[in-house]
Amino acid sequence: MNRSLSFEVFRYAAILGALAITLIPILWMVSMAFKPIPEWQATGDALTWIPKAPTLDNFRFIFGESSSNLIVALDRTAAKPILSSLLSASIGTLIAMSAGTAAAYGLSRFGSGANLPLALIQLRLFPPMAVMIPVMIMWSFLNMMDTWWGLALIYGIVTLPFAFWLMKTFFDDMPREIEEAALVEGCSRARVFWRITLPMMRAPLASAALFVFILNWSDYLIALLLTTREWVTIPVYMASLSSSMTGQLYGAKAALGLIAAVPPVVMGILIQKHLVRGLTFGALKQ
Amino acid sequence: MTATAAPLKDLSQPMSVTAPKPQDEGRKLGFRLTLPAQVLVLFISLFPLLMQLYISLTDWSPLSGMAWPRAWEMWNNFANYTDLISDNRLWSALGRTLLVMVVCVPVEFLLGLGLATLFADDFPGKRIFYSILIMPMMVVPAVAGYMFYMLFQSGGPVNDILSSLLGTPVTVAWLSDPVLAMIAVMVADIWQWTPLMFLILLAGLVGVPEDQMRAATLLGAGPWQRFRTIVLPRMKTIIIIALAIRVIECFKIFDTLYIMTGGGPGVATETISVYIYKITTQDLIWGYVAAIALAILVVLSVACVWAMKRMARAQGDRA
Amino acid sequence: MSAIRLEHLVKQFGAFTALKTMDLTIEDGEFMALLGPSGCGKSTTMNMIAGMERPSEGRILFGDRDMAGVPMGRRGVGFVFQNYAIFTHMTVRQNLDYGLRMGGRPKAEIASRTKAIADLLQLSDLLDRPAQGLSVNILQRVAIGRSAVMEPAIFLLDEPLSNVDAAFRAVMRTELKHLQRQFRQTMVYVTHDQLEAMTMADRIAVMDHGVLQQVGTPLQVYNDPANTFVARFIGAPGMNLLKGRPVETPQGVAIDLGAAGISPVLPPPQAAAARSAKAGVYYGFRPEQAHLVSAGQGLALPVTFVERIGARSILHLGNGDTAVKGVFENDLRATLGETAHIAPIGEAVRLFDAGSGAALRGH
Repeated sequence: MNRSLSFEVFRYAAILGALAITLIPILWMVSMAFKPIPEWQATGDALTWIPKAPTLDNFRFIFGESSSNLIVALDRTAAKPILSSLLSASIGTLIAMSAGTAAAYGLSRFGSGANLPLALIQLRLFPPMAVMIPVMIMWSFLNMMDTWWGLALIYGIVTLPFAFWLMKTFFDDMPREIEEAALVEGCSRARVFWRITLPMMRAPLASAALFVFILNWSDYLIALLLTTREWVTIPVYMASLSSSMTGQLYGAKAALGLIAAVPPVVMGILIQKHLVRGLTFGALKQ
Repeated sequence: MTATAAPLKDLSQPMSVTAPKPQDEGRKLGFRLTLPAQVLVLFISLFPLLMQLYISLTDWSPLSGMAWPRAWEMWNNFANYTDLISDNRLWSALGRTLLVMVVCVPVEFLLGLGLATLFADDFPGKRIFYSILIMPMMVVPAVAGYMFYMLFQSGGPVNDILSSLLGTPVTVAWLSDPVLAMIAVMVADIWQWTPLMFLILLAGLVGVPEDQMRAATLLGAGPWQRFRTIVLPRMKTIIIIALAIRVIECFKIFDTLYIMTGGGPGVATETISVYIYKITTQDLIWGYVAAIALAILVVLSVACVWAMKRMARAQGDRA
Repeated sequence: MSAIRLEHLVKQFGAFTALKTMDLTIEDGEFMALLGPSGCGKSTTMNMIAGMERPSEGRILFGDRDMAGVPMGRRGVGFVFQNYAIFTHMTVRQNLDYGLRMGGRPKAEIASRTKAIADLLQLSDLLDRPAQGLSVNILQRVAIGRSAVMEPAIFLLDEPLSNVDAAFRAVMRTELKHLQRQFRQTMVYVTHDQLEAMTMADRIAVMDHGVLQQVGTPLQVYNDPANTFVARFIGAPGMNLLKGRPVETPQGVAIDLGAAGISPVLPPPQAAAARSAKAGVYYGFRPEQAHLVSAGQGLALPVTFVERIGARSILHLGNGDTAVKGVFENDLRATLGETAHIAPIGEAVRLFDAGSGAALRGH
């Protein structure tokens, strides 16, 4: 369709505005992560947008290296929280994807577990806050409080709906002729699933896994309630980073925030075309 | 009858005991495949719900000095549920949650729809702009909360930009003022979740057949008429889904908000999730928390069933 | 008022030229078919007439009015899309009165005009049915009615039968032609199917590679193709074309067709035209306008295939440069590999310049 020049001008102006609003908060944090202490806050009326003396001190600091600029010392470094986030998010993803993929296949092909779609949507609907009391009681009973495996288990359950729904729509979309051909050749159904279907679904599986990982990695509330010290995740650790000596450790927190923000953004861009499907439980495909 | 995908109704047919039928094998495998998910769902729903119900009828607290199974000793004759009705802080928190919802969801919807309209056809730079614009929703919410915490400091960039726009120094303490803190929290939510609306609505918008748009144009329909008569009706289900998702998520709002204000100043930005979090971790009145949680679950379940029907219809439309 | 004039129309998409300098006048009330293989520029031409594409150069006039800058919604053209573009979320009635409603016509007028068009198209019983799921011939009528109710002076149809299966096409063709007679508007019909063009159009504009090849009535285009492209494209099968050089024989000028032998003698005007062709000529005749002759006459070629198509039989002779087809009655007797003798009847011979492909009009 022919569009007028004024429309194009308007479009670019609007998009540039949106880009600015989108990027300013992100760039501010990036900039902060590389600023030395004196530039953290406005002195007088001069606010530093681009670090005048860029430094990696903030990153060194959160990994425990003493810095001439920061007189405080951390009682623990960011290493363990990063490990905790990685372990709990990936094992949680593994749990969600295994149970979700298997169940999605069972429903898509054999009509088993017809209760699951609704049950899982409901699971997603509930604010985690509203089920945390019993979960905390159960987790202490099972000695899973403040452990990465305890977190992994709850993450696996919380993101199971996404894994299940995503994989269900992928299986529903998959042509069945190849599976049927293999069945005619005498393969058992279990073998068809393992040897034919799963290898064919490698790309969708990867997308779904990345999607689920992003969700797990992004959690704050659950980790806040289920971890206390040993296995706190990055967001919990970040929130606790402050010191009576220096107030908010802006630069250090920004550095940590940057570390936390990069993986999901990169992954999200990788699986761009499946984002809509994932976010709408497969109701929409892009 | 082909071998795969035996529909449910066939499984209920009486089965021969002599030779295993193909459906038999599928049924067994289907059962085994769905078992782990079923166990996980039961593990997180049935038992916790019963436990929650049980505790909600008592004054039990982790400080009670007894294990939760003995909570019946602290039976309180539904006092938690009667307290709940007169709990002003709860109702205020609910009110604030709804306020965030009725402000943020429409704003996100309109901004998202506007952006989606701009992206409906091809233009140079579309892909890269698109990738950048959807970034906020992938930022860890807690980190987003911290970003906006920094932005809204009195010596922070927001005031800096306002100062240069207005020409006079602005040193507003955003997060210490009850009203401004609420605005700041909403801005953060809109920043993070407008991209979600944009993403979903754009997917719907490109699904509107171009030929129909052209046909409408040729029949004399103007842009607004085309939008009202062709685009909106075709996107109805999608819009409902997008709104439902955001309404649900808005109801749960916690991470960004808690990092920015901690519910404060005072209780000025205390939403349902923040309130529950606080009474769970600070007041430790778990019996009461369980009662509130259960009430919320019941209300939301009703909403969920309604939403599911919509979703099912949306998928039916696409089949 | 509703004649369409295309003057030096050019359309480029980046480096690709979709249409090269097209000049064409479509008379008021005429049914013009734009015919050509896919990618020939016919749809581009139509889209420019409708205002969906802007010409790179040249002008489009409706009557005397230059259409440059007139947006597609104001051109007063009815457009029937290839897939009909029916508003499937509406009822038949809402489709039919869409344009009137958008134009803000009074309710009574909308009702009466919609009723009139529905009666004409036999859609009255279906008015309140949802458009979703109606059969394709009804969809076609809705698509036409939706435009026709606006009483456009010009109707554009973009391959409306291409999604219809072959068996049903004949019915739809008849229906379309019937409708055109009722409406009497200027119609431009884009198609790649020569049968549709031949059966329905008053005139056909044959296009190829963005170039207008020939404009004429179906019979003109069939009988006197302007060049070898039109000769091959029109007709099923297309015209036989054999490359050769004029030779003087005792009886007069004939064409030496190489392996196929010497053609029958040409009548004097064609002989003169043939002599003037420096690069040689294509000797052409329609498969339907050939007969089998006794040995020593006509072209002698081996039988390669006999194609029985039901009502007729197509005899394939020779191959490659010497391939010739003839359409005969089913009592044809031919044996594969044997030599058959075929000659064009009477005035059927057409000559084309072997260099430019243009017809050598010598008759």
